[in-house]
Amino acid sequence: MEDKIRNIQTQYLNKINQAKSLKELDGIFLQLFGKNGALDLLPKEFSKLSSEERRKVGPLFNQVKQDLEKAINDKRGVIREETYQKLADEKLTFQPLGLEARKRTGHLHPVTQLLNETLDLFSKLGFERFDAPHIDTDEYNFELLNIPEGHPARDLWDTLYINSKIKNQKSKLLLRTHTSNGQVRAMRQLKPPMRVMIIDRCFRYENLDARHEHTLEQFEIVYIDKGVSMANLQYLSEYFFQGILGKDIKARLRPKYYPFVEPGAGVDGLCIFCKGKGCNVCGGTGWLELAGAGMIHPQVLKNGGIDPKEYSGIAWGVGPERMAMLKYGVEDIRLFKSGDLKFLEKY
Amino acid sequence: MKVSINWLNKLVNLNVSIEELVRLLPLRTIGLKEVTKNYIELDMKGYNRADLLSIRGVAYEAATITGSNILFNEPQEAEFVWNQESLPEVKVDVLNLKLCPFYCIAKIEGIKVDKSSEDWVKKIEASGMRSVNNIADVTNLVMLEYGQPLHAFDAGKVSGRVSVRLASQGETLQTLDGKVRQPDTSDMVITDKSGPIAIAGIMGGKETEVSNYTSSILLEAAIFDPVNLRQTATKLNLQSEAGKRFQHGLTKTRLLQALNAAIKMYQEPGGKLTAISIVGNSQDQQKVVNLSLSNLNALVGIDFTDKQVEEYLSRLYCKPASYSSNGNVVWEVTIPYWRLDINIEEDLIEEVARLYGYEKIPAKSLAGEYKPKGDQKQFVLIRKLKDALVSLGLTEVQTYSFYSTRVLNALGLTKEKADKRLVKLANPMSSETEYLRESLWPNLLEVIDRNVRLDFKDIAIFEIGKIYYLNEKDETSEKYVLTVALTNNTDNPLVELEQIFKTANQKLDLKISEDLEKEKGANLELFHPTRLIQLKTGRGKTLGRLAEIHKRVTDKFSLDKRVAVLEVSIVIASDFRNFSCFL
Repeated sequence: MEDKIRNIQTQYLNKINQAKSLKELDGIFLQLFGKNGALDLLPKEFSKLSSEERRKVGPLFNQVKQDLEKAINDKRGVIREETYQKLADEKLTFQPLGLEARKRTGHLHPVTQLLNETLDLFSKLGFERFDAPHIDTDEYNFELLNIPEGHPARDLWDTLYINSKIKNQKSKLLLRTHTSNGQVRAMRQLKPPMRVMIIDRCFRYENLDARHEHTLEQFEIVYIDKGVSMANLQYLSEYFFQGILGKDIKARLRPKYYPFVEPGAGVDGLCIFCKGKGCNVCGGTGWLELAGAGMIHPQVLKNGGIDPKEYSGIAWGVGPERMAMLKYGVEDIRLFKSGDLKFLEKY
Repeated sequence: MKVSINWLNKLVNLNVSIEELVRLLPLRTIGLKEVTKNYIELDMKGYNRADLLSIRGVAYEAATITGSNILFNEPQEAEFVWNQESLPEVKVDVLNLKLCPFYCIAKIEGIKVDKSSEDWVKKIEASGMRSVNNIADVTNLVMLEYGQPLHAFDAGKVSGRVSVRLASQGETLQTLDGKVRQPDTSDMVITDKSGPIAIAGIMGGKETEVSNYTSSILLEAAIFDPVNLRQTATKLNLQSEAGKRFQHGLTKTRLLQALNAAIKMYQEPGGKLTAISIVGNSQDQQKVVNLSLSNLNALVGIDFTDKQVEEYLSRLYCKPASYSSNGNVVWEVTIPYWRLDINIEEDLIEEVARLYGYEKIPAKSLAGEYKPKGDQKQFVLIRKLKDALVSLGLTEVQTYSFYSTRVLNALGLTKEKADKRLVKLANPMSSETEYLRESLWPNLLEVIDRNVRLDFKDIAIFEIGKIYYLNEKDETSEKYVLTVALTNNTDNPLVELEQIFKTANQKLDLKISEDLEKEKGANLELFHPTRLIQLKTGRGKTLGRLAEIHKRVTDKFSLDKRVAVLEVSIVIASDFRNFSCFL
């Protein structure tokens, strides 16, 4: 039996060495490891051996099996490297512009479509874009927004932190948990009156399922001026829902706690499915919780260098993915970042 | 917080139906997680209403929003059991008054351990907890009603003086869950002669646990520093109903009422108070917050009358004292002790607004005109690029900001190399989210691979998004990048991609130039050796590249297709003022 194993080893090592293509190697692999391959059949004969022989043959067999597998993989690498070398002979070629191009139908991502509509709506009211970093400090993401370390409100955000080995600022680095990290920055840079929109992805420590994402888009507006009131908040909420979901979608404010606003508000939209009658989607209430908002907390205004006695402001944010799910009937939030063209080509 | 409906009905004489209360709570107070015929569950996640972690607090709130009356009295200090007779002290030293500003411990003797009455069991179960025995159940029932956590030690197993202090180096304790814990020197513990007998406010020790043979207990009611306690709870991964209440904040007034109630409840199974110590000032600080009618009306956008405001304030159990100031009414409002969340005028404005009803606030359009002040070029360019690429037949994708393990493997980034080169997370959800992407094309390659498996043969996709990297100073940086990836069933997709690029370049008048000179850089093994074109601005600044992905990389995905990519950095592009789309 020992000889038999060694024979297989020599014979196949030779074959492997002489192989010239990946296809040939695939063939050899099947001859060895496939069903009824040389190494597949052997163990069936072991039962006939004495236990002493088996103790010798067993380890040898395993060793040879590993060696041959490695030899095939190594040879694959060698053959690949050879083909890689040949790439250098391939030319860079051009075609003159104007030659008939392939015809395809392009698609804008559904969340981009929703964001574009949102941007257009608020641009009409004068709002401008403001960019805030994805990798930010604890200070901008939490501290300056009235969320000190050790505050139970931090439970609202399960935060992803950047490895502290990276030397940077004094404050801890993290992936922003919300677009509100741009609030104080915008206040300091633009000064009131201001109307800004902060958009793009945010991150949470969250395990994925059909309704939860660790990477999600946010759309947020920050509106600061003299005499801004909750009545303006009601207006902006209604303006958004009616612009995106339909003329009959009313907005309803409810008390909600966010540490960076006071008063704070949850913003409901009339359920787009039952229009307020109560259905499965809205849990019978007739309303869907769609946005979070409030009057910017005086401490946050102060942190942004703004006198709360002179100015007041609104912060208002919504999850574009959730809006897109409602508007386009998407049932699984993970589809948005899946790159699945069957999904994306529907829009 | 699960609020037993039966229990609530005993504490407040609701003048509306439960259905109406359930309708009003989310509109006036807080969202609901679940409503059953037995309980209403409040959605407390991240909330600041410490008072709503007690049924008494919820009863006050229900009375406030419905205009009903509460059915209980709060006992005054003179009525407390321990003020009825003179009692010896329990030997206790509170060694850290900063982290434990108020500590009470009472000795109760002669209790007979037994099952709890049916009424108690029902209350406990309707609140989402489990009945243990009459001793433990009293602590839980009182915590549920008053919001004050209590802990009962078996007095027979506690030896010597009780100390409340920070743990010493190397001290260990087996907690009630059977685990051996090693608190560190920033964690508060309760100790006796033998060492720690509880981690303060978080969990008691196994050693002093109440058993069926217990006849006397030491009953603890305390206030610990919420921030410190939260850190300890997080470190030990021990979140509990009690811990939640400590972290939200407690009051001394309610603590004493709770302690008094517990002692009374222990009298039924024979318990008698024999000693008590109360360490620390037992008075809560009275808060007075000013509310001005004009500020209220300006922030809410409603014209409230002073009568209205006073009615709301009294329903809130606030005591308003008004005075006039320049024709405006201002109130000095005394806040009820249990409303730890009301501290500034805006907090009171919210209270008035919610009692009026947020949903009744009328919409008011924005006043005045506004012109953008900041630089909008980058955003305009991104949108134009997206529209142009879609019109050229490309489909926009969005991929995660991370490199998956498949991508890392295809790029030949071992853990060692990745650690050095990429921005890394300290607490990733999994190995799929450990490193941030420093380019988009590897993720687009993964998308192509996925779609090839779904039988797509001709794929033209793009993404505009941020990449993350370490700059020359080893600091984290990020910027927007456009990347296109194309596979078209030919063995040279770069030909077509270069045409798409030229068309877009011309269409948007981007004036990006192609440079065939060989690129110098570390990542060249990732691209085809000859099919690589550098992209530059008119001034010669490098913007990106057009390239075929090296077979070495596609092979790692077992992707038997040639893939060409275009990548252009948008931050630099927006510096470049010749773009016609900016004009």
